[in-house]
Amino acid sequence: MIAAVREFTNRFLGRGEATITVPSFDGALKPNQKLEAATTVLQCEAPEDLATDGRNLYVADGRRLLRLEGSVATELRSFEQPISALCALKDGGIAVALGGREVRLYPDASSSEPSVTFNDAAFNAVNALAQAGDGSLIATDGSTTCGVDDWARDLMQLNRNGRVFRLDPKARSVTPLASRLGYAFGACAHSDGVLVSESWRHRLILIRNGQTPQVVLGRLPVYPSRLSKAAGGGYWLTAFTARTQLIEFVLREPAYRRRMMAEIDPAYWVAPRLRSGFSFKEPMQGAHIKTMGVIKPWAPPRSYGLVIRLSADGNPLYSLHSRVDGINHGVVAAVEMGGDLLLIAKGPGRVLKLPLAGLAEELGA
Amino acid sequence: MTDTVLSLRKATKLYAGVPAIEDVDFDLRRGEIHALVGENGAGKSTLTKVMAGVVTLTSGTMMVDGADVAPRTPLEARNLGIAMVFQENSLVPTMTVAQNLFLGQEKFYNRLRGIYIAAQQFLQSLNFDVTPTATVGGLGAAKKQMVEIARAVLHKAKVIIFDEPTATLTPEEKKYFFDLVRDLKKRGVSIIFISHALEEELLLADRITVLRDGKHVVTDDAAKFDRAAIVQAMVGRDLSNTLYGAKKKTVRPAGARVLTVQNLKMAPMVKNNSLSVFAGQITGVFGLVGAGRTETFKIVSGVLKRDFFHGGEILLHDKPVRYRVPAPAVKAGIAYVTEDRKVEGFFETASIARNIYLGLLSKFPKGRMILSRRETNAAGKTWTERLKVRAIGDEAKVVELSGGNQQKVVIAKSLVQEPDLIIFDEPTRGVDVGAIVEIHELINHLADEGKAVVVISSYLEIMALSDRILVSRQGKVVEEFSAIEATEEKIMYAAIH
Repeated sequence: MIAAVREFTNRFLGRGEATITVPSFDGALKPNQKLEAATTVLQCEAPEDLATDGRNLYVADGRRLLRLEGSVATELRSFEQPISALCALKDGGIAVALGGREVRLYPDASSSEPSVTFNDAAFNAVNALAQAGDGSLIATDGSTTCGVDDWARDLMQLNRNGRVFRLDPKARSVTPLASRLGYAFGACAHSDGVLVSESWRHRLILIRNGQTPQVVLGRLPVYPSRLSKAAGGGYWLTAFTARTQLIEFVLREPAYRRRMMAEIDPAYWVAPRLRSGFSFKEPMQGAHIKTMGVIKPWAPPRSYGLVIRLSADGNPLYSLHSRVDGINHGVVAAVEMGGDLLLIAKGPGRVLKLPLAGLAEELGA
Repeated sequence: MTDTVLSLRKATKLYAGVPAIEDVDFDLRRGEIHALVGENGAGKSTLTKVMAGVVTLTSGTMMVDGADVAPRTPLEARNLGIAMVFQENSLVPTMTVAQNLFLGQEKFYNRLRGIYIAAQQFLQSLNFDVTPTATVGGLGAAKKQMVEIARAVLHKAKVIIFDEPTATLTPEEKKYFFDLVRDLKKRGVSIIFISHALEEELLLADRITVLRDGKHVVTDDAAKFDRAAIVQAMVGRDLSNTLYGAKKKTVRPAGARVLTVQNLKMAPMVKNNSLSVFAGQITGVFGLVGAGRTETFKIVSGVLKRDFFHGGEILLHDKPVRYRVPAPAVKAGIAYVTEDRKVEGFFETASIARNIYLGLLSKFPKGRMILSRRETNAAGKTWTERLKVRAIGDEAKVVELSGGNQQKVVIAKSLVQEPDLIIFDEPTRGVDVGAIVEIHELINHLADEGKAVVVISSYLEIMALSDRILVSRQGKVVEEFSAIEATEEKIMYAAIH
C-alpha cells in the first residue's frame, strides 16, 4: 500500500523512479566530431563485429567472415546463419556466434570444420565473445525472449534477462556467470573477473565468481555495447546510441509501449535506432526538427555514434563522437590495431579507421 | 582656489596600537579619477573612511580646498562635499528611488509627488535611466549604484569615493558605470576609486596611488603603470603571471564522478541544467550575473530548493539526493563557500576561532551541539596558521579583518568539515592580489589531494585555475571547454550568445 502511494506521489511530482532525466555528455564524454573524420575502409551490407589477433583484422558481415587488409576485404568463409559475434583467439583460431544461438570455435579462420561447437539450449541472443586469461570464452547473451536483431523490443518490454556464460573449450562445458542483466552486450576479461556492458541499465559491471556484480561505471548517457582491450591498458567501450528524455519517458509508459508494439512498424517506434533521418514517418524527438532539409544539429539524437576510451580502472578518459548531424552512427564494435582504432558504424554499414596518434592529447586526456 | 581638492599629510590611524595607515601623504586633484590600489589590509579602506568621516585620524592632518578639516561623522564629511559609495550599498531597499535620494532631507510636510518630480528631473539631468517610483529592493546592482551616485551628486559632492563599485556588475553594466564616472569627471567632480580589478584602474584612472602595509608606496600617472608594475608595487614581487598568466598546459585527469546534476529546474533562474563534477579536478563555472550558476550550486548544497514538480535530479556519488536544508549536505561532504561572505559567510562579531569551529559544529561531530572552548581554540589556531589568516590577535573578531582574511575564514569554516566536494562561489571577489594567489594555491592543493572542486567565477581567473570550464547562460550550462582549448573570447562568446 505504502509503495503504491509512493509510486503515485512520485509520478505526480516527477520524482524518484518517475524522474525523467538523462545524464549530460560532459567531462570525458564531451561531444566532438572525431568519428565523422574517420576514414571509411569498407562499406558492407550488414557489418556486425570486429576481431583482431594483432596481425589480421576480421569483419563479420552478415553471414560472411571477411579478412580486411588495408581497404581490401577477402571473404574467408560464409555461414548458414548471420554472425552475431566474433572473437580472435590467442592460438590463432577464431570463435563465431551464429544467429545468437550457437558458438563455434575454428582452429584458424579458413578451417572448414569447427574444433568445438556450443549449441546450448539456453543460448538465445549471444551478441559478444571475449577470451579470458585461462583460454575459456566469455559470451554475453542479451535476452532469453528476443533475438539478436530484436533488441529494441527487448528494451521496450523492459526485459532484464540478459546473461553471461563461460564456455570452456577443453571441458566443452557452459557455465552461467550472471543472469537477470539488462541486456548484456559486450564483455572483456578484467584481472580476476569479467567486465560486462549492461545496455538497458546504462552501466558497466564487474562480474567475479561467486560475488555480486559490482558497478564499475554507472549512469552513462548512452546504451553501452561491446568492449575491447586498448593498447597501453584500459578498454574501448562502444555505445550504439544515446539516451534521450523522450525514450526515457516512453519507457515509463507501459500502456503506450504495448500499443506501439502492437500497432506500429518497429522501424518507426519511439525507440533507439542505429540510424535515423531517412523517413518522414520517424518519430519526432524534442527539437529534432528537419528544416529546409537539414536536421538541426543540436537536436537530441535518435541514433548516435560513440566510442569511449576507459582507463584500466574503468574511468572514462575521452570519447569519440558522431553527433546527430553526422552519419557514422550505431557504433557496435571497436578494436585497436597498429596504432589505429577500427570501428563498425552499423547505421551506415561502414568499417572505419581512425589514427590514434595524438588523439588523447588533443582531447585533453 | 588650489588645484588640490583634498589632501592628507602624515595621516596615521592606530587600532589598538596597531597602525592601519602610517604617515600617508595623499593628494586628490580637482576633476581627476584617482585609483587607490593595495592588498587587503594595505589601508585603502581606512584611508577612505578617514576622508568620509567614518573614522578619525590618530595623528596627521586633512585639508579640503586648502582648509584644515577633521570630519568626525559622515554628515560632517558630506557637508564638506565628500561622499562615499560603499561596496555594500547603503540604500533602504523598501523605499523608492526618490525617497532614498532625499533621505535625510525630509521637511515638515513632504509632498510625495513633488519628490518624484524633483527626482525624475534630477535623474534625467544625469542621464540616469532609473524610475524614481521604483522600489530600490527590486533594482539590479548597476541601478542601485546609479542611485547611490545620484545621491552623492545631489548632495553636491565634489569628492566621491567608490569602494569596489564594479564587484557585482556585469560586463555591460561595468561599461555603463565607467561612462558615468567619466561624466562625473567632466562635471568637475573628483573621484577616488578602489577596485581589485587592475585593468579597470588602468583603463579609468588618471593617477594611481599604491599602498602597502598601511604605507604610501607610490603615486603617479596611470599611463606610467602597467599591470605588472602595479602588482609589483602592491606586493613587492611580481605576481601577474601567477594570477592571469599563461594558459594551462596540462590538466588534471578526471577521477570518479562525484556530482551529477540532471535536468535541474528552479524557475526562473535554473532551467533544465545538467552537469557533472569529477574528483581530483577543478571544474570552473563561468557565466554572467543571472546565469543561474550560484542557484544551481545552492540547490546542490541544500541552501535553495529545486522545483517541487519535475525539478530534476541530483546525484552524489551516483546516489540521488534531495537536501531541503544545508545540514545533511554538509554531513554528506558538500561544502559551499558563499559569494556573499558578509551576509552568509560568518558571524561578524564572533572571533575567528569561533567562526571556524561553528563550521565544524554544523556537522554535529559525534552528535554534539555544544561548543568546547578548548576545541574551538585548537581548530581556530590550526586553520588560522594553515590559511595564513592575518589578524591583530587570537581573539580578533572577523569584522575587524580585511576582505581577503575574512574570505580565508569563510573557506576555513568550510574546509574544517572535511568535504569531498567543495564549491567556491566567487572566491576572490573583493580580495586583493596577494590573497588571491594564496586562495588559488589552496584551491589547487585541494584538487591535487583528490577533492572535487567547483569554482564559480565571473572573472577570467577561471582560466588560470580550472581544469575544465563550464559556461552557463540563462539558467543552464551551454558549453564546456578544457582548460587547454579555452580562450577568453571563446568563453565570453559562449556566455553571451
